[in-house]
Amino acid sequence: MGGLNTALLIGVSGLDVAQGALDATSNNIANVNTPGYTREEAQLSELAENDSNGQVTGGGVSLDGLQSIRDELLNMQINQQTSLQSAADSQSASLQQIQSYFSSTGADLASAFSAFSSSLVELSGNATSSSAQAGVLASGQSLASAFNSTANGLTSVQTQADQQIPDTLSQINTLTSQIAQLNGQLAQVPSSANGGTTQDQLDQDLQQLAGLTNIQVTQTSNGETITTGSGTPLVIGNQSYSLSSSTGPGGVQQVEDANGNNITSSLSGGTLGGSLNIANQVIPGFMTQLNTLASQFATAFNSAQAAGTDSNGNAGAAFFAGTSNLSDAAANISVSLTSPSQLAVNSSSSSTGNNIANLSAALTTALPSGQSAPDAYASLVFNVGTAASNANTQSAAIGDNLTQLNTLQGSVSAVSIDEETANLMRYQTAYEAASRIISTVQVLDNAALNMGSSTSF
Amino acid sequence: MLATLQQSQQTLNEALQQVSTGLSVNQPSDNPTAAAAMVENTIETGDVDEYTQNVSTSLSTVKEASSVLSTVVSSLTSAQSAGIEGANGTSSAATMKIIANQVQGILDSVITDANTTVGGAYLFSGTSTSTPYTADPTSPTGYTYNGNNQTSSVAIGDQTNVAINLPGSQVFSNSSNSVIGSLSSLVSALNSGNSSAVETATTAVGSAIGFVGQQQVFYSNAESQLSSQETFLQQDTVTLTTQESNLIGVNEATAATDLSQAETDNSAALAAVAKVLPNNLLNYLSAPT
Repeated sequence: MGGLNTALLIGVSGLDVAQGALDATSNNIANVNTPGYTREEAQLSELAENDSNGQVTGGGVSLDGLQSIRDELLNMQINQQTSLQSAADSQSASLQQIQSYFSSTGADLASAFSAFSSSLVELSGNATSSSAQAGVLASGQSLASAFNSTANGLTSVQTQADQQIPDTLSQINTLTSQIAQLNGQLAQVPSSANGGTTQDQLDQDLQQLAGLTNIQVTQTSNGETITTGSGTPLVIGNQSYSLSSSTGPGGVQQVEDANGNNITSSLSGGTLGGSLNIANQVIPGFMTQLNTLASQFATAFNSAQAAGTDSNGNAGAAFFAGTSNLSDAAANISVSLTSPSQLAVNSSSSSTGNNIANLSAALTTALPSGQSAPDAYASLVFNVGTAASNANTQSAAIGDNLTQLNTLQGSVSAVSIDEETANLMRYQTAYEAASRIISTVQVLDNAALNMGSSTSF
Repeated sequence: MLATLQQSQQTLNEALQQVSTGLSVNQPSDNPTAAAAMVENTIETGDVDEYTQNVSTSLSTVKEASSVLSTVVSSLTSAQSAGIEGANGTSSAATMKIIANQVQGILDSVITDANTTVGGAYLFSGTSTSTPYTADPTSPTGYTYNGNNQTSSVAIGDQTNVAINLPGSQVFSNSSNSVIGSLSSLVSALNSGNSSAVETATTAVGSAIGFVGQQQVFYSNAESQLSSQETFLQQDTVTLTTQESNLIGVNEATAATDLSQAETDNSAALAAVAKVLPNNLLNYLSAPT
């Protein structure tokens, strides 16, 4: 039969639960700025009612635990977008550096081509002037060194990207071993907690991992299985599989899985995907264009030299050297003439006119690539500019997307001070009310004890 | 909120950069097509400056050469009159000697004309830097040509070259119509007192006058080609400058408006964030008593 004790017990359960809920609220408020923290809600349920000889009384309330409020689907989308953004950002940063070598700084190839072309026009007005001849030689040297510094600039960005690959891999390996450990701990967390703080840590590690490379997450009975985008296992249960890198043929950076298989081509996304794309695709592409230009232009100008005779009456010697090897033509091109008098200004036959028009024509006629040297360089500038602009646009677009997803996630999982303040008041009131039950029962108990007695207890 | 602030700050920076550099394209990614087109524009602008320079020096060279040839024609005309006077049959041997001296003087002045320099370069030495004519007692005419047979050709446009001189070997000592040869024959004929030889030599001088006149046509053609190219290059310079400003320049009015717009947006975003940040429920609750 229900009695005052039942009411007391119900009141005490209310006190306990309000206390527990206040604790959860306090914890939420305390963690308002903790990265990766997911707000927790107290899970309340009513206790079974008591049926005593037909008289039914409520059983009070119980605190089942704290549940983290998260949306796994949203987390997955955020991870995907984070991968894409990191890749775009890392490419955008490299391309920003690359395009600085193609901006008109006065020391770039466009300015050097312009100065070289102008010096030849000037020479045609003063074919015999030794200062005009020296001008051509000097601007030829500037052109060669502009090729050298552009090629060296590309190489230095490539070296940075190459160096970033092992660094990124070691971060990935650290994260996957942490995740494997957390997976083991997750098994201990009661399912009602929805992963709790362990899952918070795990999600945060996953998001960091997604920033490094594209990942796929599958929920299994052993916790979460993490693989690369193409299915190479990184974490299964509490076991992690590390990736390693090596330098392949032609200096190409390659990534191997735990069994030593080369998985480079299947990696995309994240800083790793971005660095691999820059180091193995983007820069080699630009470099080939630059080398082809250096080599073909040098050949064209040298044959124009060979068509004439110099001021000393000798057949025109090669003007440019160092381009015999296509793979490093731009880095090695140099001027091989040592004196301005070696410039083949005169035509070799005694025909009228001189050879300067031929020298100038090397700049305006199409090279074997199908474009004149300045046009070929303009195409290269266009390609670099387009790649940089695309990476920027992509990064901005994904950034917008990611902001939206984060806002959405924030509205689900983040701590809202307003909401917690309201909860604070709600549970405070509940606690006060529950205390009132107890004090009321106490008064009633006293009344019951004093029933029929002249003296009070 | 912070993302909005960052974005408005970035827009402000871009607007500032455009106004401060006066350029809308500061790096290839700002506008890849314009950056590529500017490669051509830069080269072409540099070339056009030099073409213009070449045209103006060539014009003065050609004009000078043309006026030298006019002087030569009038010298030859004087020599022709002197020859006619010497051949009229009434002149004594002594008179002929006097006339011979006059013609020798004319020959000397023609040699001086043939050795004219402009800007340190000989007008009639071909592409050689040697003095075109020097005295040479072993030569039948008394002078040797030291230049070569080439013409200097000057670039005045893309793949447009113009020849701006004729070698002395063609103008003054041509094998069929030699100015120097005819004058030196006239001097010899007058010195020898042979009036029929003087007559023959005078006829040769007459045909040399016609020949030099023909050579002048070359220079007047070159002059008109250079003048029209000068006009074209002036036009081209304007076109290139306009193109440059269209490609990478900034419209100052637009840039200034953009800047002031970006400033306003940025202040508004800052004000909004400042207003939102401290706004929460706690501000509206009285402190617990």
